[in-house]
Amino acid sequence: MHYPVWYLPEIGGGSLIALIAVFHVFVSHFAVGGGLYLVLAERKGLREHSQAILDFTHRHAKFFLLVSMVLGSISGVGIWFIISLVNPAATSYLIHSFVFGWAAEWVFFTVEIAAAFVYFYLFGKMDWSTHLKVGYLYFFAAWMSLFLINGIIGVMLTPGTWAETGDFWQGFFNPSFWPSLFFRTFMAILLAGCYGCLSAAWSRDEVVRVKMTRFSGLWSLVAFIGAVPAAAWYVLVLPAGPRQLVLGKSPTIVLALEYGAVAVLLLLTITLVATIIRPQFNNRLVALVAMACAFVLLGSFEWIREAARRPYVINEVIYSNSIFKKDADKLTASGFLESAIWVTHKRLSPDNRVAAGRELFIHQCYSCHTLGGGNNDLAAQTADMSYSALVAYLGKMHTLRPFMPPFIGTPDEARALASYLIGKVHGKEVQEPVERAGDGLAAGRRLFEENCAACHSQEDVAGAFDDQTKEKAETILLTLNEISSEMASFGGTDFERGLLADFLRLPVASPGAQKVVDGAAVFDMHCASCHGAEDLVENTVSWDRALIYENLSRLQELVPEMPPFIGSQEERGALAKYLDDLKGGK
Amino acid sequence: MDTLLLPPTDILPVSWGWFQFLLLLTFPLHLLAMNAMLGGLAIGVAQHLLGGGVRYRLAHRLAMVTPLLIATTVNLGVAPFLFLQVLYGHFIYTSSILMAVGWIMVIPLLMLAYWWAYVYDFQFELLGRLGLLLAGGCVLIFLGIAATLTHNMLLMGLPQLFQEYFRHQGGTLMIVDDNSYLFRYLHMVLGALSVGGLAVALIGRFHADRDLELADHAERVGLRVFLIVTLINTAIGTLYLLALPRGQMLLFMGRDLGATIAFGVGLLLTLGVLVTAWRLRLWLTIAHAVALVYVMVFMRSWLRSSYLQQVFTLDQLQVVPQYSPLLFFFGIFVFGMLCLTWLWRQTARTLTGS
Repeated sequence: MHYPVWYLPEIGGGSLIALIAVFHVFVSHFAVGGGLYLVLAERKGLREHSQAILDFTHRHAKFFLLVSMVLGSISGVGIWFIISLVNPAATSYLIHSFVFGWAAEWVFFTVEIAAAFVYFYLFGKMDWSTHLKVGYLYFFAAWMSLFLINGIIGVMLTPGTWAETGDFWQGFFNPSFWPSLFFRTFMAILLAGCYGCLSAAWSRDEVVRVKMTRFSGLWSLVAFIGAVPAAAWYVLVLPAGPRQLVLGKSPTIVLALEYGAVAVLLLLTITLVATIIRPQFNNRLVALVAMACAFVLLGSFEWIREAARRPYVINEVIYSNSIFKKDADKLTASGFLESAIWVTHKRLSPDNRVAAGRELFIHQCYSCHTLGGGNNDLAAQTADMSYSALVAYLGKMHTLRPFMPPFIGTPDEARALASYLIGKVHGKEVQEPVERAGDGLAAGRRLFEENCAACHSQEDVAGAFDDQTKEKAETILLTLNEISSEMASFGGTDFERGLLADFLRLPVASPGAQKVVDGAAVFDMHCASCHGAEDLVENTVSWDRALIYENLSRLQELVPEMPPFIGSQEERGALAKYLDDLKGGK
Repeated sequence: MDTLLLPPTDILPVSWGWFQFLLLLTFPLHLLAMNAMLGGLAIGVAQHLLGGGVRYRLAHRLAMVTPLLIATTVNLGVAPFLFLQVLYGHFIYTSSILMAVGWIMVIPLLMLAYWWAYVYDFQFELLGRLGLLLAGGCVLIFLGIAATLTHNMLLMGLPQLFQEYFRHQGGTLMIVDDNSYLFRYLHMVLGALSVGGLAVALIGRFHADRDLELADHAERVGLRVFLIVTLINTAIGTLYLLALPRGQMLLFMGRDLGATIAFGVGLLLTLGVLVTAWRLRLWLTIAHAVALVYVMVFMRSWLRSSYLQQVFTLDQLQVVPQYSPLLFFFGIFVFGMLCLTWLWRQTARTLTGS
């Protein structure tokens, strides 16, 4: 809210960060582990008096230099650029809090570059003993870069007491500092092994290819063995919220874990079979598949780490949408727009609701959601929601989905946001719900929209309720958390639970009921005397089936000349389905 | 004036003076490396294009050095950019977002140029004149990046333009009506070309005993480029000064004593480099040029302060003291310098065979 938002609704800033960050991590961890790999490969060549291995090491050093310098160092600057474009408030906060940590990292980056150049350009020209020392110096500087960055970015996930004190050292040595450092070090070793296999696969000397493949495979195996306890330790030190997300509460993390698990299994299989047991199997294709697995593994790790912070970008300090946690209550009371700098509509009026809603979307939703794009598309996610459903959902979004920030603003601002999404984006009707006393069906429908429609359509849940008695349906609503840990039990009053149970038991979504009662016959009996079917298609074109069903119960309110519908609930449901089908269910 | 849109500042761990000192210390180093990279490669391309034995050898040597200079430039750019963000983050983040498309494009373009520079180096003989396409492409990319950086540095000093955000939410803002931009850019780029000439002269001296002709040629070409381009750049600099808003221009003409003295010293140093370059005194010219770059960076800092004076001064930044991280950095810095010294000595010992 303090900074402008670079708004690319169909791409999303998060996608750009993920793209650059995963790429950089894949290269930068290699830049750490690969340094040690080079030194030990060189030592192996010297110990075995093998010029072929030394030549391989020299070639690998060239590859290493190109990858780490061209791709690694520039993409590192790229991350800096992109996070300051997408999340400037958090970037600024981290830069100011840890400026001397970053500055110290820059010193090691400088030593790293100098040592890498000396190592490569003087390979075979410098005496071996000094050359190995240069290699060790490179690795030390690269690992120290990792050490420093690990401390600074670790605070984003596990700030510990730093969140309150702002103390540099408390933040740097945050609760996940050591497990993260160990895990990343093993990842660096793993990547050194994978890149080593890749270089070996390109070797024309069969003996070297086999020998260096096995040598590289052992690196990967050691990394796997070390990474498992480090990962477990990492999870154990997480605070309860992030740990629950990592262990299954977050759908995006579950997906990333699945990808990561497949990558680990495949990479472990390749490591054991094609590099250690039968290194002859290693070829360019196998090595590239292993690299792809390593990329997915690193990518899923970074994705999980980032997703586990949610709803924060800096845990307990700044929400994902750049709003400081300490400001949330005040903004909720006084209004977001009034305090936001980069908005044009400071005050809401009937004329600017949609435009203000768009600004609220940009500042509160866009950091994680695209609009019509591939990543977390909010247009798709709200497609089945009505205006009132979205308004209600915004009010309890953080409770239902703890990995999402609360909507921060007044109820009017929430309605403005819903107006934009439902009215402008989806072109649906935006109307405040008006309930008539005694209209239990409308109330039930509203309760459904407020409590269920964010995740379920009426058809989705029909199967669970259509054959139930009212009492049984009410019991189900009380035990939703037992069906899925991602659901909460219905939290309304007993009366509201009864209304919702009535609504859910409606035959409108019950295929069984529709078979029993013929909607066309009901139409003929109740409507055809005054209406042609085409007329009713026109009249009901903007209604969905549930609304048709609902309106059939209050025909006289809609058109005073009409008699009330006289028929059973089943007949009303069948008629609603028939009319809905006539217009193609749209 | 419309309402200014300015983000709040974040808290500093030590007084702003430390960061200003570190910024002014490190930014000239970045400029010098960038000048050597851009100017050196441009001269290398020209030498390659003109062809001939010694020119070809000079072009090859410059091709070999370019990747090293790119790495050095990037590295030496990190520190001043860090300290700039600490002092002026709320301006530079905002201006970067307003021109985000151009700003983020710097990264893939730089990567591409870096890659091409390595190919040009490693495959110099094999590529022949085809290599000119790669090297020329690198030069063009560097010129484009320079234009982008200059644009952002100017935009961050013009917060009255931040209102334009609402018409450029996709990050496509470009300054179109500022008279100083073109001269500022040309002044920077021509400065790079001239200092690049000095770098060429210096690079030619490497292993002079093995190729005296190359060393002489490089020195002659480098100093001549430096002299001619500096003369042109003096005129461009004058135009740049005149194109500045009146308030900023007068800053160097008596309104601010420090800025005026710096300007005077800059003029004297300009005169000094022209004379020493005319007399082919390389080391003396380099010494003057380095001092001149430092003075210009100071002047640039005055200019920025003046641009922002109405809305922000550095003493507005709040401090909640934490000195131990500063001491930690200094300790690491000393350690880093020792490492670099050791690397330098080992490299020199290897190359000289001593």
